[in-house]
Amino acid sequence: MDAAEALDTIRRARDEGVASVKEAATLEELERAEKAVLGRKGPLAAVQRSFGDLPEESRRDVGKAVNEAFEAIRTAVAVRGDALRAEADRTVARADRLDVTLPGRRPPLGALHPLTYTERRILDALIGLGYQVREGPEVEDDWHNFQALNIPPDHPARTMQDTLYLDVPGRDDLVLRTQTSPVQIRTLEAESPPVYVAAPGRCFRRDVADPTHAPVFHQVEILAVDEGLTLAHMKGTLEAFARSMFGAEQRIRLRPSYFPFVEPGAEVDVSCFFCDGAGCRVCGNGWLEILGAGMVHPVVFEAVGVDPERYTGFAAGMGIERIAMLRHGIPDIRLLYEGDVRVLGQLAAAG
Amino acid sequence: MRVPLSWLRELSPTSLSAEEVADLLTRHGVEVDRILRPWDELSGVLVARVEEVRDHPQADRLCVARVAAGGAEREVVVGVRNMKPGDLVPYAAPGATLPGMAEKIERRELRGVASEGMLCSPKELGVSTDHTGILILDEELEPGSDLKEALGLDEAVLDIEVFPNRPDLLSIAGVAREVAAVTGADLMLPDTSVKEGPEKADDAATVEVKDSERCPRYLARVIRGVRHATAPVRAQVRLAAAGMRPLSAVVDATNYVMLELGQPLHPFDLRRLAGPGIVVRPADDGERLVTLDGEERTLGPEDLVIADVEGAVAIAGVMGGGDSEVSAETTDVLIESAYFQPVGILRTARRLGLRTEASIRFERGADPEAVGPAAARAAALATSWAGGTVLAGAVDVGQVPPRKTVAVRPQRAAALLGTDLSAADVREALARLRLPASEEGDTVAVEVPSARVDLEREVDLIEEVARLSGYDHVPSTLPGVRQGGGLTAPQRLARRLRDLLAGVGLVETRSWSFASSGDLELFPGRAGVPVANPVSEDEGHLRTSLLPGLLRAARRNVAHRRPSVRLFEIGATFEMNGDVTEEDRLVVLLTGPAAEEWPGEPRDQDFLDLKGVIEHLMAGLGIDDWTLGKPLDRPWHAARSAVLHLDEDPIGEVGELHAETAAAFDLTARVAAMEVRLEPFLAAASTLPALRDVSRFPPVHRDLAFVVGEDVPARDVRAALVDAAGALLDRVLLFDVFEGDPIPTGKKSLAFSVDFRAPDRTLTDQEADDLVNTISARLAKEVDAELRAG
Repeated sequence: MDAAEALDTIRRARDEGVASVKEAATLEELERAEKAVLGRKGPLAAVQRSFGDLPEESRRDVGKAVNEAFEAIRTAVAVRGDALRAEADRTVARADRLDVTLPGRRPPLGALHPLTYTERRILDALIGLGYQVREGPEVEDDWHNFQALNIPPDHPARTMQDTLYLDVPGRDDLVLRTQTSPVQIRTLEAESPPVYVAAPGRCFRRDVADPTHAPVFHQVEILAVDEGLTLAHMKGTLEAFARSMFGAEQRIRLRPSYFPFVEPGAEVDVSCFFCDGAGCRVCGNGWLEILGAGMVHPVVFEAVGVDPERYTGFAAGMGIERIAMLRHGIPDIRLLYEGDVRVLGQLAAAG
Repeated sequence: MRVPLSWLRELSPTSLSAEEVADLLTRHGVEVDRILRPWDELSGVLVARVEEVRDHPQADRLCVARVAAGGAEREVVVGVRNMKPGDLVPYAAPGATLPGMAEKIERRELRGVASEGMLCSPKELGVSTDHTGILILDEELEPGSDLKEALGLDEAVLDIEVFPNRPDLLSIAGVAREVAAVTGADLMLPDTSVKEGPEKADDAATVEVKDSERCPRYLARVIRGVRHATAPVRAQVRLAAAGMRPLSAVVDATNYVMLELGQPLHPFDLRRLAGPGIVVRPADDGERLVTLDGEERTLGPEDLVIADVEGAVAIAGVMGGGDSEVSAETTDVLIESAYFQPVGILRTARRLGLRTEASIRFERGADPEAVGPAAARAAALATSWAGGTVLAGAVDVGQVPPRKTVAVRPQRAAALLGTDLSAADVREALARLRLPASEEGDTVAVEVPSARVDLEREVDLIEEVARLSGYDHVPSTLPGVRQGGGLTAPQRLARRLRDLLAGVGLVETRSWSFASSGDLELFPGRAGVPVANPVSEDEGHLRTSLLPGLLRAARRNVAHRRPSVRLFEIGATFEMNGDVTEEDRLVVLLTGPAAEEWPGEPRDQDFLDLKGVIEHLMAGLGIDDWTLGKPLDRPWHAARSAVLHLDEDPIGEVGELHAETAAAFDLTARVAAMEVRLEPFLAAASTLPALRDVSRFPPVHRDLAFVVGEDVPARDVRAALVDAAGALLDRVLLFDVFEGDPIPTGKKSLAFSVDFRAPDRTLTDQEADDLVNTISARLAKEVDAELRAG
């Protein structure tokens, strides 16, 4: 093969190769056409194999021509390949067409109850402050629900809360607990100070249901008993709790109040988290009444055999419903107890 | 307790506004709920002088009054004729508004005579319920002045929530003491002196107390020669503002003093008391008395009565009787002022369901030292309003209990409050509260005034100091908690359980803990616990099961067109087993479409959906050892239900509900539910699973279909397969259940996808084939299975 022959072969191979690549109707045909001209058995490879036979001075031209042919064919393959792949995609897209605005195959979305979410938030805030969680029975005896809490049988405070009594032969002292405070007593009966516990639970009052009252409701009780605990510690703890629960900017305000099992006692207001304390439709005066609290009454310590001279403590209680209603804008407490998924489903994103 | 501000200022002068006083009181422990302005709706009523009263030309029952209210004279048509020229009367000019009247007063024509407004009765002004005539005003008022200002109807009333330990605040004087303490203003208690006539009370009536424990002190004042009269309008206005109905001068005088000093008083018509004399004694068993409210009350020895020598005339400390009531004919009055033991009054009032102004004060503890002064003041007011003479002295039986002394250690106060408090601070706070204190060594001793029944021990005084100095001054610090916070393992598992349930698309509900008798019938084996005083019959028992609550929730959702129901509840259930047992349960309920919309499968949820939930829970809680046992009776579906066992113990029930049970809750689709006891369920759960190594070698896969009798449980086939395959079985999944051609009648095909895998090598096809042969042989033997394809 002389140089002219070689160059002629190259030109033909290139022209035919480019033509066959352009004619390829499928990616498989394209691959075959590419292989036929560029493969080891193809005409260009044959020219390369006879390269050594060519005169020295023509090698450069022939080499250049081979490279140009390779380049031309590869370009043609790439172009044709893109066109064929695009065509293939279009075909698949036609066959696989889908209205993506159709509903998805959605697993049902579950939800915890708003009171569960709120209770968890409260407990998590307290756990962060070092509290452990304790629970007690919903059916209580008079001792734990009243007497040990400094509410003796004829105490006027008993009329503050209408109690539901049980009709159990031989047990005239059984009540549905009116508060979570009996867990204070049960904890101090079972454990020695230091005690830092939070007790969530269901409580009962003989209330006819209305938008803000229900015969069943939930509270979280806080009890701290240790050496040297003061009202200042109570204030600091409740402030830290309020900030963790309602926002880092919240302030609290203590107002003197009365609960038989604490003294001094206080109502604890949290600055309104809707208006930042400016006063709005929800709070009225910038404050939301959230907790009742106070220093554990010495009578309570005496009832459970804790020395009130050595130990002091504080207790606080809050209604989970009230907090949940505030947080989620729930207007009527009864909505929480109807099992209506139109209500509960809306709050599935709570946390 | 409603406290008219003007009355309060009379006893403790302050220039602070109602809002400022309310805020100060609230911040220092006297909770002012709200500020009322009872006569907000009243406007445009003037004091007018009657110039002339003449007959209405067209109507016998009407008259025409010409009145002057400062400026020009006006004529009004009036329906009564108790006013005469010279009287001052309330005149509502056109444009005036009256309480409880929607429309403004207008000029109008009445039977041919133009009436420019109206004259008002006490009722129309909202002062009392008296509607018998026009209110005749005190002579000293200025005609033309605004009636609201003239009578003090523009005043604010503090509505105070009195805590049960502070009965002293059930009086204007008690609240004034607090105002004086927090504002620094003076405290000026009312004059309790009385001008007495020569006749001695002791000669006019007798008092005998037969139960001095329940009535430690009984004092009677006697007045002779009163006439029927009304109290001055301003006094009536105060009573009305405080929430009491003005009646007659004598009764109003006792009520006025009760509000002012907190001491309940009761006036008897002396002439209607046999003897005349008072006997304080326990009631006879079955003794009857018609009380002032017209009810006949049946009493017993646990009740204390005030009697005359013939019979009961009042329930002591609660309510008087109708027979001895002061009336228009009364001339001689015996005013009772007593101290009753609180518990006795509380019990009687509670038993009779009677809460009166008197019983509320006595049951919380009245001031024993107020007995004498209150009676004197009431007698003085009654005679100044209704005439008559107060007899000398009082018939006074019993004694005032001595005052208590309570000591407080200032150091202890500082330690409990976490503030710097000196002995001087403590003394100062106590002094402001008018608590007489003296220093004795390291302690401050307080002689507790008899009205302050709440002050019994040191901490009570510490609270006084704290609230008076204000909680705002208490610093805010965190205690040094020496423990880690957290949940116990069961508490963590309970959270995990709820998350798993929500994770499979169940919505958590909560229902009340009560059950109707119908609810109880669902599980007759569980004995209900009756509530002694339920609000309604439907809430007559505690729930023995959570299922009825969830069925009601399902019904509600279906009724509101949310038919695809997936709910769960966790809560306490109660049973009577000699004693009351309380047990937490979990209940899950599925009914209606499995998916709400296309492209979800259009089918209803059934037993297997529920079983899927259970499998999910068990896997999620790491519980392996569970089985479904025998089918159940009603309320369950006989063929689609089972006892749920954990490690052999029955812990609950699973199944579709009987169609009749579902229908009773208006549910027409299949209802699948489970109810399990939570405690054993969570006890079996594991929070710390240990990892088993996983093989790195590839599995060998075989699909094996076995034909077995149609009644052979799939569980048995699978169990035999698993056992036969032994350690080399990696995983087995059932992928098809088929009945019908070509499977012979009475048979079914169960197709399993089986992976074999060794921990240490790649299995050969030969090994896999050998395993299939072993499995086939075992299944042929144990469940009469035939390998259809493999």
